[in-house]
Amino acid sequence: MVDSPGNRISPVPVEVGRANLHDVRVRWDDRHESLFPARDLRLLCPCAVCVSEDTGERILVPTQVPVGVQPLRIEAVGRYAIQVFWSDGHSSGIYSFDYLMENCPCPLCRRPVSPGNS
Amino acid sequence: MSADRSGPKRGSKPLAMAGGPPPPRPAPTPAEVRESLIPGVKYVIPVASGKGGVGKSTVSANIALALAADGARVGIMDGDVYGPSIPLILGVKDKPTPGPNGLLPVERYGIKVISMSFFLPPGEALIWRGPMLSKTIDQFLGGVEWGELDYLIVDLPPGTGDIQLSLCQKIPLTGAVIVSTPQDAALRVAERAVFMFQKLKCPILGIVENMSHFLCPSCGNREEIFGSGGCRKTGERLGIAFLGEIPLDTQIRIDSDRGRPTVIDAPESPQALAFRQIAENLVARIESQAKETARSGETRITF
Repeated sequence: MVDSPGNRISPVPVEVGRANLHDVRVRWDDRHESLFPARDLRLLCPCAVCVSEDTGERILVPTQVPVGVQPLRIEAVGRYAIQVFWSDGHSSGIYSFDYLMENCPCPLCRRPVSPGNS
Repeated sequence: MSADRSGPKRGSKPLAMAGGPPPPRPAPTPAEVRESLIPGVKYVIPVASGKGGVGKSTVSANIALALAADGARVGIMDGDVYGPSIPLILGVKDKPTPGPNGLLPVERYGIKVISMSFFLPPGEALIWRGPMLSKTIDQFLGGVEWGELDYLIVDLPPGTGDIQLSLCQKIPLTGAVIVSTPQDAALRVAERAVFMFQKLKCPILGIVENMSHFLCPSCGNREEIFGSGGCRKTGERLGIAFLGEIPLDTQIRIDSDRGRPTVIDAPESPQALAFRQIAENLVARIESQAKETARSGETRITF
């Protein structure tokens, strides 16, 4: 009764850390690794300021995000997400682990990280 | 996990603050967040149902008391800020008092209690929007001196809204208990609660079937008013452990209404034994879940 769908949940990161000075690396418990270039991750922000709650359309205009934007700090949100505090002052996005997994930019996942083509 | 009370607590402050660049410091792990909010609490167990009126609070209170009867240190946080009923069920007359590091919860039948009803005069309604609810959860966690507890039971309101989300965001929960009555109308909503917890990566410890059946006191006939066994079946389908069943019973209702829950009033009665069996099954599930969590570990943030 332990290893059941009720408790066996989709992959969870073992670690959210640095890939280099500014980019974010997520190491998953199924040994997958996702590497998010800092600015791409900023452009993926799922918060209500960046994405329309009505239409799901992205409101965030990429040209308004500084080229050198970088995470200053990342915090855990409960057991299911992270919150990123960005150098452009933005911090309202809660990136759930499922969302990060869905948007993994690696060739294996074949999900383009560019948020413009939603 | 020491009982060290020195130093300021940062628990009651909101965890996330927008604004200028914060000073660089290592991000707290979920465990550290819990440590800062409720330093001495070992396991946090939300009790949820999705649907209202299935007896969540009665089950929460009796499970909490059954755990305490087995020698555990237990607290119960009434998360139903709109319709708080834990103090009524436990017959609490006192109010929490201010302590050096936060509000001191009321103690009743050996367990610690916090509820919105302590702060709400009778005859008044609480009419709040979401952000206030989130602050209340902050206060109930970080602003209350829970001290050393083995179990903090959180009696959630019905639904899958602000309170549930806030709780799942603030602290890593040990796992949720789902309470339902066995008919489809309740189970379908309970399922949604299950999906919510799964989405928020909160493990499900098991499901309790309340109002499972009715034993007629005069003829002994067993009447399955809501159809029996529905929770067990739903549990099997969703892969959730079945923790046990509680009959629909006049005495349980009377005991709850007069503030002497069945586990306290008649600890050897079949009704109380049903609650105690559920508590026992729950402890086993908590322990195996805790091992599982320790094995897989919590997400480390090293950025």
